[in-house]
Amino acid sequence: MISREDIEGLAALARLQLSDQEVESLQTDVSSILEYVGQVSSLEVSASGPIAPAHHNIMRDDTPRAAEDQLAGKEEAIRAAFPKREGDYNAVRKILQKDE
Amino acid sequence: METTLAQLSITEAAKKLKAKEITSLDLARACLIEIQKRNTSLNAYLEVFADAEAQAKAADARRAQDEKEKKESHPLLGIPLAIKDNILIEGRIASAASKMLEHYVASYDATVIKKLKAAGVVFLGRTNMDEFAMGGSTENSAFGPTRNPLDEGRVPGGSSGGSAAAVAGHLALGALGTDTGGSIREPASFCGLVGLKPTYGAVSRFGAIAMGSSLDQIGPLTKSVEDAEIIFNTLRGIDPLDSTTIGEGEYAARPRRKRVGVPRHLLKEGVDADVLAQFDLVLTKLQTQGYELVDVELPSAGLALAVYYIIMPAESSTNLARYDSIRYGLSLKGKDLTEDYAKSRAAGFGPEVRRRIILGTYVLSAGYYDAYYGKAGLARQKLTDEVTRALETVDAIVVPTAPCPATKIGEKSDPLSMYLMDIFTVTANLTGNPALSVPMGTVTREGKTLPVGIQLTAAHGDEAALFELGKKIQNLG
Repeated sequence: MISREDIEGLAALARLQLSDQEVESLQTDVSSILEYVGQVSSLEVSASGPIAPAHHNIMRDDTPRAAEDQLAGKEEAIRAAFPKREGDYNAVRKILQKDE
Repeated sequence: METTLAQLSITEAAKKLKAKEITSLDLARACLIEIQKRNTSLNAYLEVFADAEAQAKAADARRAQDEKEKKESHPLLGIPLAIKDNILIEGRIASAASKMLEHYVASYDATVIKKLKAAGVVFLGRTNMDEFAMGGSTENSAFGPTRNPLDEGRVPGGSSGGSAAAVAGHLALGALGTDTGGSIREPASFCGLVGLKPTYGAVSRFGAIAMGSSLDQIGPLTKSVEDAEIIFNTLRGIDPLDSTTIGEGEYAARPRRKRVGVPRHLLKEGVDADVLAQFDLVLTKLQTQGYELVDVELPSAGLALAVYYIIMPAESSTNLARYDSIRYGLSLKGKDLTEDYAKSRAAGFGPEVRRRIILGTYVLSAGYYDAYYGKAGLARQKLTDEVTRALETVDAIVVPTAPCPATKIGEKSDPLSMYLMDIFTVTANLTGNPALSVPMGTVTREGKTLPVGIQLTAAHGDEAALFELGKKIQNLG
């Protein structure tokens, strides 16, 4: 079974605070799901090597929105959703703290 | 139940609107009356829009204007629809049935909404769902489960369960859902409806709250195949705001063969006997209509569910990383920035969402990536090749949509047994093929008659094959 430390490590990576009880139930749930999905390891990959993935990224130029698309002119509505707004700015916490 | 206009299909209502036998306001009011009667117990809608009647009046005015200008009105003009709560409508809340977005007001229209507005659709409200579309029963909503209108002790399926319940209970004429692993087709099966998961890229997802981006599609839940076709034709097309969208000419047209593929090897176990009996009955009837049944082999299909439950959590956990409490959504304060994130995400996400985030984080971790996500990607490609090859000789591959009818509320309590309900639906999301669930009769559970669906899967871009065969099955009687 997946260890308590592993679940806590994953929760830290995923920025999720978990209660002790939830860590425990996740140990059971995640272990049984992983056991099931582990079936994929039975897949034999052909000797010719891995198959090229079908999906690829499509890039576009970073240009201003065209006036006809539905995002045009929605800046204020987007700002209105900021949890903490100062003028037109989204006020956020300091990320880098000075050494004390 | 006395007959009401709310029981009409979209096609029937459009005909009556055109003939001026009814108005859009009549239709909207008929649905609002059913909502008034049943929504408290069904919990199909999370919110009914206060301006539904005003929208209907505007649609009626537009019809009068079209007539004056001798313009053909869009078949969806004035049709009242329900919209799943993960599709953005400007100025309205879109919560994905999550505490994280409980008060989030959409700042723009999803492309599908833009298109439906252009057609003149009346939006009745936003429907309940499994939180962030994670679930197959609509029990994972942060705002309580939705009940199946055909048996209120049972689930409507999910994750688009609110949409399905709204249509099946005549609280709307049709609805939009989203489908990442069966979230349109499974509720369609459980509620006796038609549900379409279009070809990957056929319909823009811009403005749909993302779950698994290589899997998600938006599609209709309707009372008939014709209705699903009308909505699909309105929604489809290239969208510069969703780079995965494709045009109608992306895949070459295919000849009809009147041949239907049946992967018998997948039906040997795990399907309820009476569901399988209904399935075989439909196949026999199709034969009498001149369809040839062909055994098809999909050797990797047994791995589909495992592949799906690696790829989907990987993509979901990545997509859900955007809920950081900084730009929108629930925002709680901790002692530092890291704790702000962790507290907000713990309070905002429900248990199933947290479970899938942890699972996704695990399979993407260095050291496990090759064994899980890497292998799953290879299996996915292999499965896609197999499905494509099988479809070279048949018009569609058919299986039951779900292994059983609607389950009871609370019946599936451990996550893995719930995931197993998706066994037949996930393949089309992994391979990108279009798939349609059509009612195929009923089975009985504890004295209740419950519908079950048959799922048709066609070649990429060949929704036409689904509609053609779907209508045949719908009209078998």
